[in-house]
Amino acid sequence: MLRYQRNHDAISEVEQAILAEKRVLVVGCGGLGGYVIECLARVGVGHLRVVDGDVFEESNLNRQLLSSTMNLGRPKTLAAQQRIMAVNPMVEVQAIPTLLTVDNAEELLSGCDVAVDALDNIPDRLLLQQAAKSAGIPMVHAAVTSWLGRVCVIKPGEDLLNILYPIETRNTGEEGLTSILATSVAATAAFQAAETIKLLLSRPGLQGETLELDLLNMTVTKIKLI
Amino acid sequence: MIKVNTEDYPWHSGMTVRNLLDEKLFTFRHIIVRINGKYVPEEDYEHFTIRDGDDVIVLHLIAGG
Repeated sequence: MLRYQRNHDAISEVEQAILAEKRVLVVGCGGLGGYVIECLARVGVGHLRVVDGDVFEESNLNRQLLSSTMNLGRPKTLAAQQRIMAVNPMVEVQAIPTLLTVDNAEELLSGCDVAVDALDNIPDRLLLQQAAKSAGIPMVHAAVTSWLGRVCVIKPGEDLLNILYPIETRNTGEEGLTSILATSVAATAAFQAAETIKLLLSRPGLQGETLELDLLNMTVTKIKLI
Repeated sequence: MIKVNTEDYPWHSGMTVRNLLDEKLFTFRHIIVRINGKYVPEEDYEHFTIRDGDDVIVLHLIAGG
């Protein structure tokens, strides 16, 4: 298929068929989520369940791919669905315009192969980690601020977020206070999407470690956490 | 010698967490420090002494999306 011609041989034709059968939950359709959804759909992941309870605001325009001056005030999940319909109609996008909660987490994860943590706050990230653990599926975590980004693959039970976010730090409200650049978001999301694809294809990837991106000093560092 | 973020780093007697952060120019507002896996709160940075051979992880607190 011409659509995927330039995926090969980075991804084999057999792997391409495998991706078409996979379902990924993306929680958060803002900065990271927008780019991750775009990458997964273009590479050819067949089913995306995208979750976000927010609508676009003007302050999102500096970094969120799916936001535009045309869709301010509209649900982020709807923008994701429309964008992917235009980019790759072979991908099924389930748009779920709600926030992740303790009550809906299990249902949102149902039938998914990987959970993508594209959230913007620590409590919800911890909730997703717990839900993915209960569901027995891996989670690909990413976070950004300023010129920095981070990506981790968290297998069920590894609980790497407990290391990254000690209890004493969980109520700083840090995420809402700092700057975030489009460059950091796009770069970090690309790594996050790559790890997601490798998990879907059972390829080796990050394991018990965090990948730290610093776009100001141009460093990419892997740090062992467990 | 100690490990800082999995790389070797020279140790000196009396080295505190604050000394290390200053030497390594970790100046971000919110920093997470773990020594041999154990979290070190910010209020202890001035007097917490790093021992030779310690495994130190210093991370930024990042949570935005």
